[in-house]
Amino acid sequence: MNKPLRFSIVLLPIIIFSFFAKVLLVEEDEKFLKFNAKNLPFFELNDLDGVAVKSQSLDGIKLVNVWASWCITCLVEHPFLTKLSDENIQIVGLNYKDSSEKANAWLQKNGNPYIFSIYDPRGDLAFDLGVTGAPESFLLIDNQVIAHTQGEMTQRKWETIFYPLINKARKTK
Amino acid sequence: MIGEISHFLSLSAVVLFCLILIFNFFFIFDKTNSNQLSLSLRMFNQACWLIFISFGMYVYLSINDDFSIAYIASHSNSQLPIFYKISSIWSAHEGSMFLWIVFLTAWSILFINFLHRNHPLKRITLLMLSLIILGFLLFLLLTSNPFERILPFGAIEGADINPVLQDPALAIHPPMLYLGYVGFVISFSFITAYLFHGNFELEWEKDIKNWSLVAWMFLTIGITLGSWWAYYELGWGGYWFWDPVENVALMPWLAATAFMHSLYASSKSNVLKTWTMFLGILIFALSLFGAFIVRSGIIDSVHSFANDPQRGLYLLIFSGLITLLALGIFAYRVPSLNVSRFVISGSKESYLSMNNILMITSIFSIFLGVTYPLIIEALNGEKVSIGPPYYNTIFAPLILIASIFIMASLDSIWQRSKPFKSIVFSIILPMILSLIFTYFVWHVTAVFSILSYIGIFSGSLILFSYLYRILSNFFYKKFINIGSAVAHIGFGLLFLAISFNSILSYEKNLNLAPGETILIDESIEEFSFDDIKVLKASNHDVISVEVSLLQDGKNIFLNPQKRKYATRGQITTESSIHASILKDTYLTIGDQLENGSWTFALKINYFIKWIWFSASLMVMGMLITIFKKKAT
Repeated sequence: MNKPLRFSIVLLPIIIFSFFAKVLLVEEDEKFLKFNAKNLPFFELNDLDGVAVKSQSLDGIKLVNVWASWCITCLVEHPFLTKLSDENIQIVGLNYKDSSEKANAWLQKNGNPYIFSIYDPRGDLAFDLGVTGAPESFLLIDNQVIAHTQGEMTQRKWETIFYPLINKARKTK
Repeated sequence: MIGEISHFLSLSAVVLFCLILIFNFFFIFDKTNSNQLSLSLRMFNQACWLIFISFGMYVYLSINDDFSIAYIASHSNSQLPIFYKISSIWSAHEGSMFLWIVFLTAWSILFINFLHRNHPLKRITLLMLSLIILGFLLFLLLTSNPFERILPFGAIEGADINPVLQDPALAIHPPMLYLGYVGFVISFSFITAYLFHGNFELEWEKDIKNWSLVAWMFLTIGITLGSWWAYYELGWGGYWFWDPVENVALMPWLAATAFMHSLYASSKSNVLKTWTMFLGILIFALSLFGAFIVRSGIIDSVHSFANDPQRGLYLLIFSGLITLLALGIFAYRVPSLNVSRFVISGSKESYLSMNNILMITSIFSIFLGVTYPLIIEALNGEKVSIGPPYYNTIFAPLILIASIFIMASLDSIWQRSKPFKSIVFSIILPMILSLIFTYFVWHVTAVFSILSYIGIFSGSLILFSYLYRILSNFFYKKFINIGSAVAHIGFGLLFLAISFNSILSYEKNLNLAPGETILIDESIEEFSFDDIKVLKASNHDVISVEVSLLQDGKNIFLNPQKRKYATRGQITTESSIHASILKDTYLTIGDQLENGSWTFALKINYFIKWIWFSASLMVMGMLITIFKKKAT
């Protein structure tokens, strides 16, 4: 084995590990700064009650929350979402890779903070949005994806990223 | 009180492992049979037993509903059967980490005590193992302590375990998977010890062979159980989703498979030794990487726990250091390893190494698939998803090439090239048979999907070559390795089953009123909605539907249900599955429509059983290999 190869055996893991360290250490706020607003992908799906939902129906200020009945972290962030919906934030659920029966049962058991939940059993819309799993949340303002977070929605994320944006959008209207 | 004792025992184990490390650091080049080594060995055994007893006490606490312990209070419930009270321990991050450590310790203590008393590598292996266990133990106690109490007053009743997790498959899926993951700590530590020690006259393959085979078996069972659970319990209607967590389990599996093959080759001839060592290190490095991905919250998926970045950082630094340590020693020692570099083309080991390269390629492709979204997001903040199409297109050609090499390797011999003429018949025959078979399938089903046909061709190529081999064993007494044959037939069948499943399965949404009968297709001539009843059970109401099907000339009765639980108002759906050898008929009732009719979802999934069957063939082949070796 020659020298460069031996060298790269050690160097390559260092590069990989430092990359992950960087990803891990990037603050959620910084991540947002790099986020480019993009249009909501076009979709035509039903909600959990069987009513048709189109991309155009998500106008105004909406928080789209990806959830599923099999998702344990969703249960953790659920009380916080309920609090938000009590504060008149319009939250649209995106029920991801789930069955409608289990999803409805889950909502009945844990309470429903969503104005409605888009039923996406195959994860089509989720794929277009770039969802990697549940939970994730997207902030939509007038059909534009403005901000996004992976994982649990926390008080901190809400106060530092999402709420200021919503406030700004409300003022301009 | 028992909680505190259990906590204390784990802490004592930390102290003991620290002592072993410090103590041995000064004697690292001493002779093996010194008193000092036997002392550290005793300390190691004691430390391991401390961990076992500590875990035993924790299980006891969970069975006896000690809800003053925060973890048990939030994941168990006094109403649960004992079985699920125990399995609730590994239903979330802290407890499953504890289980991981227990298995790590169990593998280590067994290996160390089975190793010959005066084995020259014993000390360094012991050090490596202690270092790894200590790292994980500190991770558990510092960042995710399962012993934390709710003070001053404990909870009166535990929050329930997620109903999805109340399933026998889930109760055994994580333990099996962990047994596989951490089992490779042995090859990892032993190879590192061998390289560090620097006496390359030593034999090392023999000592870790069976351990790696057993670990591979557990990994296979664990992955299969996970897939089985996703199909039957989660109701996603599929068995594999290329979810990041499935991917990080598949990577060590592929590395381990490559490792076993190359270990086999390097024990038969003096080639590929360097390569085998590298793979041995890589498997555990990938296991560590998997632990990091799942537990850091860097990627969300079904398996991820609610996390804080501190844990991720600790795991990243720890696994980074361990991996770098091993790879650094490897890179330093490689030039002094005296191995032959030339693989004779056309020999058995040449085909094996080709397939090894293919397996590494697939590991790299999966790694890229997992990390690509992260890379893109880090670069320009955009979000992308990598879905099944990426993996399917990458894997199909790899499988095709791999199956050709598997076939060619069957009739080849070690260390010598066999003239092409002598193996041409055993290559041409399966090729032609598989082509005919693939064409036949295409002709009958009339569905076209290039990837599935590649799968069918490759699968049948492997099958036919092995069948031919078995027949020639039967008639001409040609040598055959039974374990390997069974495992590879399982592998071939797996691709047939996956491809058939993807071209044949379909789904129909129906809408029927009670008493109605409709025709669905040639295979299901009658679908009659016979009856609907509302039954009262002790704690829930049942809407029970009776449906009879005339499927392929046979009458089938299906009984899907909906249950409404009185106390919580929870509604559950019980799908009804009729499984025959070829296909699963999967029926679920939906809602009642305004005109009084009901919606049904009818899914016909082909060859699902064959997927589990082929996985168990692979495990069986491995079992045969292990036991045959013991007998001889």
